[in-house]
Amino acid sequence: MPREIVLGDALVPGLLILFVLAIAVIWLLDAIAGRFSLYRFVWHPPLFRLAVFVCVFGAFALLLN
Amino acid sequence: MSASTASTRVPLTHDVLANTLREEASVWLFVAKTLTALFVAGWIAMRVDLPAPSTAMITTLIVANRQSGLVLAKSFYRTLGTFAGAFGAIAIMATFPQQRDLLLVALSLWIGLCAGGATLYRNFKAYAFVLAGYTAAIVAIPVIDNPPGVFDSAVARLSEVLLGVLVSGVISDVVFPSRMRDVLRRTARDQFAHFLGFVRDSVGGAIPRESMEKAHLRFVRASVTLEDLRSSVIFADADARARSNQMRLFNQRFMAASTSFQSLHHLINRLKRARRDRAADTLIQLYRPIGEALDAPIEAGSAARILLPRLTAARDAIASSRAALRATLDDAHDLRDFDTGASLLRRFVDELHDYVDTAVALQAPRVIAGSAERVRFDRGNDFVGAGIATLRTTLAMLALGVYWIESAWPQGGGAMLNATIFAGLFATIPNPTRATWELTWGYFIGMVLGFVCNFFVLTQLEGYGLLVAGVFPFIVVGVMLMASPRWAGLGLGWALGLVYILAFKNTQTYDPAHFINDAVAQIVGLLAAAVSFIVIPPAIGSAWLRRRQLARLRAQVALAAEAPLPGLRHRFESVNHDLVSQIAAQTEPGSSDSRALFAWALAVHETGRALIELRHDMVRRGVPSTLKPYLDAALRSLARFYEKPDAPGYLLARDAVATAIASVGEHDDSAHLIEHLHLVRMALLDGESILAAYMPDTPLSKEIVHAT
Repeated sequence: MPREIVLGDALVPGLLILFVLAIAVIWLLDAIAGRFSLYRFVWHPPLFRLAVFVCVFGAFALLLN
Repeated sequence: MSASTASTRVPLTHDVLANTLREEASVWLFVAKTLTALFVAGWIAMRVDLPAPSTAMITTLIVANRQSGLVLAKSFYRTLGTFAGAFGAIAIMATFPQQRDLLLVALSLWIGLCAGGATLYRNFKAYAFVLAGYTAAIVAIPVIDNPPGVFDSAVARLSEVLLGVLVSGVISDVVFPSRMRDVLRRTARDQFAHFLGFVRDSVGGAIPRESMEKAHLRFVRASVTLEDLRSSVIFADADARARSNQMRLFNQRFMAASTSFQSLHHLINRLKRARRDRAADTLIQLYRPIGEALDAPIEAGSAARILLPRLTAARDAIASSRAALRATLDDAHDLRDFDTGASLLRRFVDELHDYVDTAVALQAPRVIAGSAERVRFDRGNDFVGAGIATLRTTLAMLALGVYWIESAWPQGGGAMLNATIFAGLFATIPNPTRATWELTWGYFIGMVLGFVCNFFVLTQLEGYGLLVAGVFPFIVVGVMLMASPRWAGLGLGWALGLVYILAFKNTQTYDPAHFINDAVAQIVGLLAAAVSFIVIPPAIGSAWLRRRQLARLRAQVALAAEAPLPGLRHRFESVNHDLVSQIAAQTEPGSSDSRALFAWALAVHETGRALIELRHDMVRRGVPSTLKPYLDAALRSLARFYEKPDAPGYLLARDAVATAIASVGEHDDSAHLIEHLHLVRMALLDGESILAAYMPDTPLSKEIVHAT
């Protein structure tokens, strides 16, 4: 994972950018799941959402290096 | 509604005990979750070496709420506001890097504008605006001597806030969440049951004006509460988000149906008052099938499905009995009033059917794609009130800024920051001086405790675990107070003051002189905010704003008469409801102000809806060109009269409507318009309505219904 990302000549912590991206992805996935009522198949939706978030955030960190 | 009061029973002791315990458990759960979020956020912030872990901790305190949905909603808007504020700070700093005075002026303006924008929104959207304002100050002021540092300062602030938001979001959503969806569902069910129950119980005929006004207030409150809840629940619940538009539609149909229902009852009331019992009784008889249709257990959700065929049957029954009932009347006035009432009734049954239909669809296990038309809930905003908030916040900032520069007070920046934060935060509530005062006391207590904690306890301790143990006893009472409605302000101030003044860092500094200076600056900032509220009192809650809002409410009739038609029905209803509920929240129940408000609200509602229906019919079926000028003149004079009510305007409007009715009577193909006009005319001539003040002094009781 890049420790810092260059945004217009300024260094921004990579974690911050990835975090914001991951939140956006989760927002999208969550909207899709809600649209098709997929949370019916899940015991504890918030816990599930948190787990998906950890997966997405972790995947970003591992894939971008 | 009468059914539920009849079954009231004496509460048993163990019920009381169980309720108390449940309430206590919910408070303690809140305390546990808040403190967990607080310390976890602090720990992570220290682990990843953020410059100010206390910001992340303060964030968790600010977004803390018993309802998970509210935490997520507030977090979302806090994030948005922080982003906007950080960008604002960078832009302002980049524009005036070497000009301290101009920078402060620009910053004050930005903060003032944000505070003004906040008054235009209810809910947490207002919070996002305030936050955008003071985040800019938080980012810019500490680096005012070192402009290149603004970017790092912005990134640090963003990281800290996001961390705090993430931790509280996860903890409140995952650990024993308290679902607002249930509250929303219950509110929607209550709304449904109350309204249908009210309709069913009032089938007997006239409803006294007083209970009509009470019911109106309840319906208005219900629809606004539902909209507020909806806008928060969508953050917690993907399912609710997918249904959000249906929920809106449900609410809009509720508002439409309740307005028609009230118009119908005003009509019946007026007929009764004018001793025109025959017409009134015939209408009540026509109305009866609805009461029978609703005579079933009323429950929102799929159980309501059984009501649909019954309502359709009632509609058919009304249509078939209409001719027979009409034949029993012979007087020309009676016939005309009966026709008006019957068309109103048809409109009401259709709307009621739609409303029940949406209620059923809401509970369907799957969301039907794109089934609901898109609707929105428009708000009635006042831009002058926003201007006042802008002016006040800007002036408070400038005054403190000048003082800071002139006195070269090292902590002046801190005082300025605190004044900004609370001048902005409290600009949107009715009694900001008291709230600021309470918060100041809380801050004071928190900081005194902070002194004890910092210099006598924390100096003895080593490591994060012991830090938690050392801070816990000092903060727990504050957080508990946050959970009680009465002491929430004090508790919040307590917890914020304590966490702020402890200023946790990886290497904690112990400097009593700096500590006390900082504490004094915080209190001075808070007091400055309180003073600014006294010097420029908030528009919210003042008689002046109320008059303006009332004028806006009346101007709704002009909107109904003149605004473009598409979407107008929803726009009219939702702005009306928002305005009425705003004014209702700011008036003493039962005071003359509040009575005047409801009298106006009823008149505006009835006339506005009739005008909208009239215009829809005019467009749908076309109007002969010989008739159109008269109708336009009637619409125009009504709009002018409601915008600026006075006796000459009243006469003009009354005559214009009479002329329009007369000319519609001459055109046989436009008979469908006459019912709407007639309804408007009756509302205008109602001697018990607020319009009575503008009527000429001639006795009117007879004319109410006999004037043509």
